[in-house]
Amino acid sequence: MTFVKRYLIPRLIQYFLVIWLGITVVFFIPRLTPNDPVMKMIDQMRARGSTLEPGAMDDIIEDLTQMYGLEGSWGEQYVDFWARLVQGDFGVSFFQFPARVNDLIAVALPWTLGLLLTATAISWTIGNITGGLAGYYTRKRWSKALDAVAMVIRPLPYYVFAFILLLLFAYVVRWFPITGGASLGAIPTFSWDYIKDVLWHSFLPGLSLVVLGGAVNFQIMKLLVQNVNAESYVQYAKLGGVTEDRIVGKYIIRNAMLPQITGLALSLGQIFSGALITEIVFGYPGLGMLLFRAIANGDYNLIMGITILSIVGITTAILILDLTYPLFDPRVRYT
Amino acid sequence: MSHEISRRDLMKLLAAGTGGFVLGPWTFMSASSVEAQDAALPGTFPREQTFIARILTGRVGTPDNFNQWVGWKWQDRGMQNLADEPLWSVDFATGDIINGVAAGDPTYSEDFTSLTIPLREGVAWSDGEPFSAADVVYTVETLMAFEGFNAHTFFVDNVESVSALDDYTVEFQLKQANSRFHTTFLDRWGCTRIFPKHIFEQQEDPTLFTFNPYVGCGPYKLHSFDPQGSWTAWEKREDWDKSPTGIMYGEPQPQFIIYQYFADEGAQILAQLTHQLDVAELSADGLKALLAQASTSRAYQPTFPFVVNNDPAITGITFNTARAPFDNVDIRWALLLAIDIVEYTSIAVDSSGTLSPVHIPHLGPYPRDYIAPMQDWLSEFTIDVGDGETFAPYDSEAPQRVADLARSRGYIFPDDDEFRAKSFGLGWYKFAPDMAEKLLVKNGYSRDGDGNWLTPDGERWKVVFLTPNVLSNHGARNAAAAVQQWKKFGIDAEMFVTESQADLAAVGDFDVSGDWPAYEPWGAGPDMYRTLDRWNSSYVKPVGDRTQGHVGRWSSPEMDDIIARLRETDPFDTEAVIAIGTEGLKEAVKNMPGIPTYGYIGFVGWDETYWTNWPGSENAYNQPYTHWPNFKYTTPFLQSTGGS
Repeated sequence: MTFVKRYLIPRLIQYFLVIWLGITVVFFIPRLTPNDPVMKMIDQMRARGSTLEPGAMDDIIEDLTQMYGLEGSWGEQYVDFWARLVQGDFGVSFFQFPARVNDLIAVALPWTLGLLLTATAISWTIGNITGGLAGYYTRKRWSKALDAVAMVIRPLPYYVFAFILLLLFAYVVRWFPITGGASLGAIPTFSWDYIKDVLWHSFLPGLSLVVLGGAVNFQIMKLLVQNVNAESYVQYAKLGGVTEDRIVGKYIIRNAMLPQITGLALSLGQIFSGALITEIVFGYPGLGMLLFRAIANGDYNLIMGITILSIVGITTAILILDLTYPLFDPRVRYT
Repeated sequence: MSHEISRRDLMKLLAAGTGGFVLGPWTFMSASSVEAQDAALPGTFPREQTFIARILTGRVGTPDNFNQWVGWKWQDRGMQNLADEPLWSVDFATGDIINGVAAGDPTYSEDFTSLTIPLREGVAWSDGEPFSAADVVYTVETLMAFEGFNAHTFFVDNVESVSALDDYTVEFQLKQANSRFHTTFLDRWGCTRIFPKHIFEQQEDPTLFTFNPYVGCGPYKLHSFDPQGSWTAWEKREDWDKSPTGIMYGEPQPQFIIYQYFADEGAQILAQLTHQLDVAELSADGLKALLAQASTSRAYQPTFPFVVNNDPAITGITFNTARAPFDNVDIRWALLLAIDIVEYTSIAVDSSGTLSPVHIPHLGPYPRDYIAPMQDWLSEFTIDVGDGETFAPYDSEAPQRVADLARSRGYIFPDDDEFRAKSFGLGWYKFAPDMAEKLLVKNGYSRDGDGNWLTPDGERWKVVFLTPNVLSNHGARNAAAAVQQWKKFGIDAEMFVTESQADLAAVGDFDVSGDWPAYEPWGAGPDMYRTLDRWNSSYVKPVGDRTQGHVGRWSSPEMDDIIARLRETDPFDTEAVIAIGTEGLKEAVKNMPGIPTYGYIGFVGWDETYWTNWPGSENAYNQPYTHWPNFKYTTPFLQSTGGS
């Protein structure tokens, strides 16, 4: 009960407060930018040759404002917004009217989750294992070689690195496709052919994220392990004749892992923002481009929908991490 | 019995949960299904029968919604360019207006309060139903009945009634005189299109109807689309001969046409190099890179300047005439005369733009109808530079100087008058910094000891050039060139690059911008109404409000009078229309509310591996873009190589 009273309840209050604050800020910020969704739509239609008589513009503005539900003060819109949100409804997208924001997110989200969760999990696992071993066996040749590779890869701008992969594997050797999440003509079906096709298209975007992410994790973990390795309790264990496997696994890597677990939780939370540059370079579908387009077009509802996911994702990841941290670090107790 | 979960068990559970979380989306992605689509696997489209082009306007945000009468529906993904037939469309390559489902021009009553439109016989919708006047009447009446349609206000404001005189003749009664009413149906990258009555009349609220699958009178029908909006595939109709395209030009050649999304230029280039994209639309540098690498790709022109230089838009510089000192015609002319157009076009477009001294581009019928006949007037036109001195700014030799610079840089191209006129224009304005100086001094400006210009208040003269953040577009290219020229002249000029360029321009929060200096003309026919009417004083709003006319906010009583007379003139009375249009262009030159520089140029790369007989400059049988509505008229002329 002490845990519930003294820790869980205040922590949950904090959790909901952060979410409310985040959502409120995100509600008002797009309205403060010069991007007016009604005028963006009119500009788009005018630029694309639709019949918009200049003299009738005021009527058109009024119609669109009404259609988008942007009538009334910001305060009134804010109340309407929460009324919808508690029912899980983000409303309609302005720029992709009359598509519902929920539907747009539902279509894009699996692609983002599929790619980023996989890439994050693989890069975190490989980066930490190799980094941990390289940090312990610093004098080995393979450790130095891995370190050199990470030193070269990590400073590369992501865009450049991704484009190099595209050039090499999609143009020079032509093992992978140049663009898209699936082949032209491939319609989503629950079949091995389609899954293979999606995996084939996801390989290069995934590889770009895994390699760069893995290099980052490798370097951090290597440094952490080197620091822990120099701790007196490790030296004492070595002198005490504890087996090397046990020292590496239980004494060093386990302690060095703690900051990396925090980093993983934050990375998982951030996944809901998408991976814009990956989506641009590889023409991969996902939330990143959806959010970018929403911001550029003042599509308030869509911006809200995606950023709320992101806010909830990050705060929930931190909450779960806080609550489960004693599992990873027995020194932490909520009693 | 109690069972405590150990930390080790919990860790295992967490690992299993994470694994499920990672794998779950892949399953969901695979399981999602698409309405009204047949399952198709990769490789469905035989490449030698398939034509692949790019979606100009990006990934489709509403892939399963084809109701282009409501909001924005990415109609360049094949709706307007393959599946739809408008009443008329403009072809800026030939300067002609092409009859689609209309059989000829409309006929207005003498007072322009009514008109009749003849329709083409023998046309059928792609589902086999015949097209008739009832479809046109139903479309207009439905657009008027539902507020959610884009064109609702226009038709409510203009149409008293619409009726079918017979199966192939429609009559409109208008609420007030409108001699340009029919242009709402004239396709120039968008227009009011006709929808099939037999489908829409079954909908309770047609504004919410997704219109999937799309049914049109064009030669192609919807095959399939990606639910992510990456591509839309169209298939040739079995009854293509019942589409106006088939009736006029014969059988379209590609069996399938796919519009695909490419997120960046690099992917387009790689796709064409690997023959996975037949038409690439690139930047100047992108086209150079493509042509340097690909032996099977060609540009619009076989020699320099390579580019598509017949787009119906004039690029240049727009002044905010509602903000001092740009409200002063002397200042606007001074800034023009401070530009050396040879250097300017070299910076902006590597000397490849076609110059125009007036506010329309040098293409289609415009050189014949306007620019060439205006040469004498332009040569005699003078401006007052102060102290009783006048100056004739026109320079008919400017295009030759641009050509000479291009040649001196190693570009090889024909050396004849026809080629020079087409590629570099008929003339522009002199580089006359001395005259620019006189105009500025006349208005109280002065130079400091370093040669920098000072305003009448003694402050350093600063000019901020508003430009969008896509630096390869022509707004930014003009900005870069103008800023360089004005800096050289001693003005503290700078570019202000922002994502919000269009919004700031619309509310008048700028000095100078890269917006087109005049609204784009039709690109076909001699009528200048579309361009001149945007300078109508009734559309000008105060700074801070979104203007309804041109963002430069310029107007004049003389221009108002010209617009009023044009409104009262039959648009099909060529002689009268050209006479009034010429007056309008002269009024614009005198006031120079924006500086026209060169016509919009595009950078198209065509791969000849699977398809040939492109509408290039040597064989410009149609406009060259695949996103334009009349691309469908190109499809019968494409020749398959069979992939050999």
